[in-house]
Amino acid sequence: MKKRRYKVIRFILLSIFLLIAVFPLYWIVLTSFKPTNEVYSFPIRYWTSHPTLYGYKKLFEFVNFGRYFINSSIVSLTASLFSTTFAMLAGYVLSRSNFKGKTFSILFLFFAQMLPSYLIMVPQYEMFSKLKLINHLISIMIIYTGLGASFSTIMARAFFVRIPKDMEEAALIDGCTRLLALFKVVIPLMLPGLAAILSFSFVNNWNELFTAVLFLNTSNKYTVPVGLYSIISKAGVQWNILAAGIVIALAPTIAVFSVAQKYIIAGLTQGSIKG
Amino acid sequence: MKKVFLVFLFVLIVMTVFASDKVITLNLIEAFSSPWRTPTLKKLVGMFEEQNPGIKINIISPPYETAYQKINLMVSTEQPLDIIEIGDWDLSTLAGMRKLVDLAPYIDAWPEKSNFVDGVMKAAKTYHGIAYVMPHGLFAKTLFYRPDILKKYGLSGYPKTMQQMYDYARKLTLSSDKQYGFDFRGKGYPTSFIDAVVTSFFDDIDPENMYLTKEGKIIFSDPRAKEGLEFYVKLYKDTAPRDSINWGWDEQVNSFVSGITPLLFQDPDTTGMLNSMLKPGQYRTAPLPVGKGGKAYPSFGFVGWGIPTYSKHKDLAWKFIKFVDSPKNNAFWCKAYGALPIMKSIYKEDKYFSSGVFEGWVEMFNDKVHYQFTQYPLSNKYWGKWNGYQEKTMQQVLLGKLSIDQCLKEWTDFWKKAGIAK
Amino acid sequence: MEFKSKTFVYLMLLPVMSVVAFIVIYPTIGGIILSFRDYSIYSFGNVRWVGFDKYTEIFTDSTFLGVLKNTLIWIIGSVTFQFLLGFILALLMREPFKGRGIFTGFVFYPWAVSGFAIGLIWSWLLNGQFGIVNDLLLKLGMIKSGINFLSSPNMAMFSVILVNIWYGIPFFAIMILAALQSIPNSLYEAASIDGAGYFTKLFKITIPYIRPTLVSTILLRIIWVMNFPDIIYGMTRGGPGGSTEILSVRMINTVFYESDYSKAAAYGVIMVSILLAYTVMYLRLTSSKEVRL
Repeated sequence: MKKRRYKVIRFILLSIFLLIAVFPLYWIVLTSFKPTNEVYSFPIRYWTSHPTLYGYKKLFEFVNFGRYFINSSIVSLTASLFSTTFAMLAGYVLSRSNFKGKTFSILFLFFAQMLPSYLIMVPQYEMFSKLKLINHLISIMIIYTGLGASFSTIMARAFFVRIPKDMEEAALIDGCTRLLALFKVVIPLMLPGLAAILSFSFVNNWNELFTAVLFLNTSNKYTVPVGLYSIISKAGVQWNILAAGIVIALAPTIAVFSVAQKYIIAGLTQGSIKG
Repeated sequence: MKKVFLVFLFVLIVMTVFASDKVITLNLIEAFSSPWRTPTLKKLVGMFEEQNPGIKINIISPPYETAYQKINLMVSTEQPLDIIEIGDWDLSTLAGMRKLVDLAPYIDAWPEKSNFVDGVMKAAKTYHGIAYVMPHGLFAKTLFYRPDILKKYGLSGYPKTMQQMYDYARKLTLSSDKQYGFDFRGKGYPTSFIDAVVTSFFDDIDPENMYLTKEGKIIFSDPRAKEGLEFYVKLYKDTAPRDSINWGWDEQVNSFVSGITPLLFQDPDTTGMLNSMLKPGQYRTAPLPVGKGGKAYPSFGFVGWGIPTYSKHKDLAWKFIKFVDSPKNNAFWCKAYGALPIMKSIYKEDKYFSSGVFEGWVEMFNDKVHYQFTQYPLSNKYWGKWNGYQEKTMQQVLLGKLSIDQCLKEWTDFWKKAGIAK
Repeated sequence: MEFKSKTFVYLMLLPVMSVVAFIVIYPTIGGIILSFRDYSIYSFGNVRWVGFDKYTEIFTDSTFLGVLKNTLIWIIGSVTFQFLLGFILALLMREPFKGRGIFTGFVFYPWAVSGFAIGLIWSWLLNGQFGIVNDLLLKLGMIKSGINFLSSPNMAMFSVILVNIWYGIPFFAIMILAALQSIPNSLYEAASIDGAGYFTKLFKITIPYIRPTLVSTILLRIIWVMNFPDIIYGMTRGGPGGSTEILSVRMINTVFYESDYSKAAAYGVIMVSILLAYTVMYLRLTSSKEVRL
């Protein structure tokens, strides 16, 4: 009986969350299918009687989205895989060991997250320009890996701390090396955390605009957000086209979250209501 | 041995021939890139490349909102660039870096110079009288209005004076709950909107400096500025949606297109957007309403091309600039994104630029008694601080947090400190 | 439990530390130096040392205190509700239900919208004249006349925080959701036998157990929110009348309006100093035996 009531409440609350999250999305999707003269029509229309692909057609005429998708995928995947792997290793020792420089290391990772974009913009640009890396995807890959790794390590450490040490110790007694113990025992337990970190890094990278706009020059190097951003001109933005772009840019990230949740919630034993 | 030597020599010769025949690539960066305009530029580049085999132009089109910042960084770190598009408000930054070529020798040698519209050379020499930029398009605010909406409420024609505009707008606002009059701009560089209204209460603005009277007095210290600003606040409170304190370009156009506010001051590049959203005849332009001083003082905005000092192909860069700015191409270019052309002959020969859409500007250009174009003090080193400051203090006045007197005093002090008074 | 070999520890740290150091150290030093020079419009051709001039200019600005206050309201308002709602969402999503995959995708997508797009979309939705939020509220009869979401100073701050909450819930939800998985079921079972209710379990088991994650996520979020101008910049640019101007927005305005990169860097140094001091204090206060500092 109690369980039933819980389920009803849960259903209501989840629906509210979904509704609030989704209503702007509905509006964006709707707008993307509206003909231009209906976008600004007044009074506001919540449906369109003349759905059109004009927005999408124009979008693909304006920007080379196929290319941007490939660039973004390469950059985001590479950077998030590297940063998550690095974070796994570092997070593990930071959670298990006390050593000289530990406090400093943790603070340093937080520090990397604190730097406001305009503090480091000019020198960072100069640095990469001296390295002849301007207008190469590798430049933003390195930056994304670094930023992602510092954030991911902080999170990985927080997750690792809670993983019971006895199982590892048992493995060690069995003669496993440290690294082997990590891979055989700890990582399976860490899977939810790692899935969360990986999906987050991916999405962060997929979205990153500031550095990409600055470091990439030619349109065959652009990433998805840069392409989207370039639809806005001095003469403003045409909403149905931008909306089409947002819908397309969002699709992969929605898919990533949908898939990742399976791993994030993996290992949960079903049944009782928990607190 | 001799044979080997000969072969070697042959290879060497072939290599040098090929090397010298290498295609030269010029890098061009856009400041006002837009998905509507960039294809036009690509077409022009294609034509140029066809006429000039061996030259390739590589276009860099950074997203508009961060374009200035990117151009500044690229030029200051001497990234390979040969042609830079320079917007009026970025000119001082680039010129201040001392990385722009003085184009005067090139311009003087160009026969088309005599064909320039008044104001083109003035714009070119904005920065301390040195021609760092060759304008390719001009901007000036004019009045956009919606005859269909005005007619609905029994108003005909268009307002010719500021007071008339207020009356029109007031009548519209009172007529219906959802109807307002003036398309106010409160956010994102409202500078020229404020000034267009305030200066219309004067009749003696310095043609060289928007913020000075001909006698060299800072306008904000003049009682007429107070009248002007009071009028501007009244326009907001009585005829504009309250929300418009937070309106920038997008909201203004949105509101104009949906008919909520059928009276708008805007630049010619608005026409591109409006043409795609409204039917012909649904909007028209008219000269800016004149104020109590019987005049209006539009300011010229401009955008043009510059060449960085470190470019290795300055002459070729100029060749390209001359090509895209030629009367035929300039007309094509300006039509594509709605700037005002720089050549006199275009206005005479091309019907589009004397059609209904352009009435407002054509009339202002021809009426030198009531319309006197003036300039902003763009090369004053306080200019950079001005826009954000004016925007914020103006909003505070609109919110009633700052009195008009206090505001004018602060603005006067600002320009006094900047040393513009003569 | 200690590692026998310190070399192993440092080797494991090496990849992260080297890549972070590579992208951070030189630019930070460069940024600090920048803040003591005059790299700004009209001075690019003649960049010189100006000492503390930029800082003096910042601190003597009569509006600076107001900006600090706005920043504080922005952070507290945003992070508190992002956290609470994210936590609740994570608890609700803990157990499987039909369609959870799709649900997750659609509830978490706000995090995936680019900052500039969020600003644009929401300033459209919240527009006083043609925004759909007002229109819907009016149609539903919940309000009599349109709300001035972005045109009155108090409402403007409220509105931008609201949007930031909308955007930030997923971060907490995902991280907490992942952390919840590490709680051994046996703990709950034991508590159930003792007759503990839902809230007792929540406060006695769940929260203490995932504390390290909570501590880290909250701190990270505070840092990010302080450095996140996109939403405000897109919606109000700090207006009306400076009422939503927070430090990071002022920094952007310094670059966009004034083209003063040095002053922007000085703002950056001030922001990092505040955050650094706060982080050290925060970690001290929250340190337990797991989170030692």
